Amino acid sequence: MKTNKYGPFVGRVAALIAMAFALPCGLPGQTASARSSGGSGTSATQWSVQVDQIDANNLDLSYSFQIAIYENLLVELNKTKQFQQVFRDGDRRARELPKLLVLKTTVEQYTPGSETRRAVTTVSGATKLTVRSQLFTREGKVVLERTVAGNVRFFGSNLRATHNLARNVAKTIKQSPSLGSAVAFGATQAGFRG
Amino acid sequence: MDCFIVSCTHSKTYHLGRRHALWLSTVLLGSSLIAPAQKIPQLGDTRAPFSTRATHLLGFANARNNSTGILSVQDDSLHFQQDGKPGAQVKIGSVRDVFLGGESKQVGGLPMTLGKAAAPFGGGRVVSLFAHKKYDTVSLEYVDADGGIHGAIFQLKKGQSEIVKNELMAHGVTISSHHVQSAKQGAAEVGHEDK
Repeated sequence: MKTNKYGPFVGRVAALIAMAFALPCGLPGQTASARSSGGSGTSATQWSVQVDQIDANNLDLSYSFQIAIYENLLVELNKTKQFQQVFRDGDRRARELPKLLVLKTTVEQYTPGSETRRAVTTVSGATKLTVRSQLFTREGKVVLERTVAGNVRFFGSNLRATHNLARNVAKTIKQSPSLGSAVAFGATQAGFRG
Repeated sequence: MDCFIVSCTHSKTYHLGRRHALWLSTVLLGSSLIAPAQKIPQLGDTRAPFSTRATHLLGFANARNNSTGILSVQDDSLHFQQDGKPGAQVKIGSVRDVFLGGESKQVGGLPMTLGKAAAPFGGGRVVSLFAHKKYDTVSLEYVDADGGIHGAIFQLKKGQSEIVKNELMAHGVTISSHHVQSAKQGAAEVGHEDK
């Protein structure tokens, strides 16, 4: 008798709880679609990125610098959480991904500095790096192209310039307002082509 | 009596000496022929694995950046053992290239930098003039199991990078022509530091 009396009440409570759980789950999906249509940078989370090795562009940039830029870019891009996965150059897993962007970095300017000169004079001896960063879709369409600089002026070793540069590149990609729409455009094109 | 004893002893000694000398020379000849054959495998077996103190700047497997430890070549892998922590290793076969370089750095780290900044009348700047040291850098390029390219940089004492390179070459690492260029670049960098 008792169960029959409370049966509808329990059912209603269970339904309410189920709705309460279902509602927050549904929201992210809605916001995600809204974001992608709105064209903000966060839509790139659907995409993965592959970081290509650094092109020194015939400049006298030592290999330790090239390696340091490459490795720091991987770390900093991972930190931004803008991309689903960050792949290294040559990674076989990236070949199978349909939504893949390729980051190419070309060194445009390099001014070798001196840590000792920085420590002694403060105003001279800065290590300066300027690179051109380009994000391509798999089809070769340029999604983003920026010139980014990274310097070390006061404290730290010369290699610290590579860390600053990679952080600036990652920040540029993250803050780029056109990235979302460009990626979305690239996605539709890829969809048509695929 | 003396003469007899001497002659007897002499003759005995002489006879024994000739036989012994013959026996000894045969043994020596035989052992000298066998010795190299024994020595070669012994050399290979007892050769101490190469190791040197290094600072890992970045990129090597799971090792922490800017950590000091022992860089060694063990069997077929390059091993970096941080002080009191589990080591990281990379198969030597996966190393694609090695680049050598040089760098001049201020010694003492952050405490020294703070001390120099706090020194009155620009005394810190004078200290900076002398408080720098030249290091060698070894940059490695290696591939992981998925084919992804990794780069690692180690900082070693001056003169150690050539030894590491030779050791890696002895273990079958093929070093491309640009390592010569990189060495030149490294030298140029150090030269720039000295200016």
